[in-house]
Amino acid sequence: MNAPPTFESFVLFDGEKKVTMELDTKVPNAALFTINKDDHTLGNMIRMQLLKDPHVLFAGYKQAHPLEHKIILRVQTTADYSPQDAVKNSITDLISELSLLEERFREAVREKMDD
Amino acid sequence: MAGENYIKARNHAFLKEHIVTDTSYGLSRGVYDGYDDTWDLTKFKKQFHIEIIRHNKREMEFDMIGADPAIANCFRRIILSEVPSMAIEKVLLYNNTSIIQDEVLAHRLGLIPLKADPRLFEYRQEGDAAGTEQDTLEFDLKLKCSWNPKRLLESSDPDEMYINHKVYSSHIKWIPMGTQRDMYRSCDVGPVHDDILLAKLRPGHELDMKLHAVKGIGRDHAKFSPVGTAFYRLLPKIEIRQPIEGEMAERFQKCFSPGVIKLVNIKGKSVAVVNDARYDSCSRNVLRYEDLAETVTLGRVKDHFIFTIESIGALPPADIFIESAKVLIGKCRKFLGEINKGIK
Repeated sequence: MNAPPTFESFVLFDGEKKVTMELDTKVPNAALFTINKDDHTLGNMIRMQLLKDPHVLFAGYKQAHPLEHKIILRVQTTADYSPQDAVKNSITDLISELSLLEERFREAVREKMDD
Repeated sequence: MAGENYIKARNHAFLKEHIVTDTSYGLSRGVYDGYDDTWDLTKFKKQFHIEIIRHNKREMEFDMIGADPAIANCFRRIILSEVPSMAIEKVLLYNNTSIIQDEVLAHRLGLIPLKADPRLFEYRQEGDAAGTEQDTLEFDLKLKCSWNPKRLLESSDPDEMYINHKVYSSHIKWIPMGTQRDMYRSCDVGPVHDDILLAKLRPGHELDMKLHAVKGIGRDHAKFSPVGTAFYRLLPKIEIRQPIEGEMAERFQKCFSPGVIKLVNIKGKSVAVVNDARYDSCSRNVLRYEDLAETVTLGRVKDHFIFTIESIGALPPADIFIESAKVLIGKCRKFLGEINKGIK
């Protein structure tokens, strides 16, 4: 009876932005990204890729409450690198990784069909 | 170099009697001296490959070796909930005099898997009640149950007494809209299975309804999920540290799933040897016996994923995986676009 509509977990509200950023004041070069209408699917992947970057000092994400469909990603980098650049590079790396994965899969399927 | 031994160990999680150790993956940067964990596309290209073990129209088993657990989980989540498919969403009831309630019947109709390829359709726009031929498939279900005039009066077999008393998914007829008539054939867009029992009728009961099928994703409703299930497991690893012979070897073989351990004859004694650890169910049964527990190390390879995808029937499992990769890349691109647009 009180259940919110299911599409609310992935459809942005009117005027809601997908990503907002806040600079963390307590430490230098740190930012808090709030990503709306997303969940662990994207959050865990971006966090994993950020951790593989040597210039990233801290990367973590959380979904504060399972009924609120947004994740908070916190990134802290070294002095000459900004958190936005870290996230941008990580996603670019992820896109190339996933494209390679897709290509390898297609090749494997083609090979299997030819057998 | 200290890093070398750790490299071997970091790929395996160890299954002990009461705990599983070394389960974290990829958190070794800076911890092991001399081992550089920085991500590099060329390094990834070298270590990553995919092997397809089994592939048919409905089910697929393949190995993903060298990927990160976060990526494997992402794929699993996307396959289950974000790859679209077609399912009946709106049921327009003109007549339902059966004892199955309207909403129960509509719910059952929604869960029927349809063969229609979702890639050929678009999502329905908000506020569009009627639907266009690009985003809707229309079906018809019309059935009336009556007495069988040719029945024997003493028989109590419902199949003989009544005509049309069981409503199956084969009674759903496709009504082509506009140009759909030229684009699709009736056998491409109907239900996957013809023998799904939807309702039971008795003489005098009638069903008359129109069904609209639209494209949706599993996040919205589970009926839109293109797979029965999609899951992965890690490759098990069994390392025999001391030779196991004779009666101990037979007991050892029984502790594992059949086919995992084989007994070879060396110098007249039967010795246990690992045949293929892949199909072991990792029950750790061997650790119950104290004498066998110290002879073996059980573990799992942390970056070797054995994926199984069981399709419902609309898309073959290989296509489902490729679609999920596209969805994932689309999500990343959209996110990148939002960040590049300038965040406050």
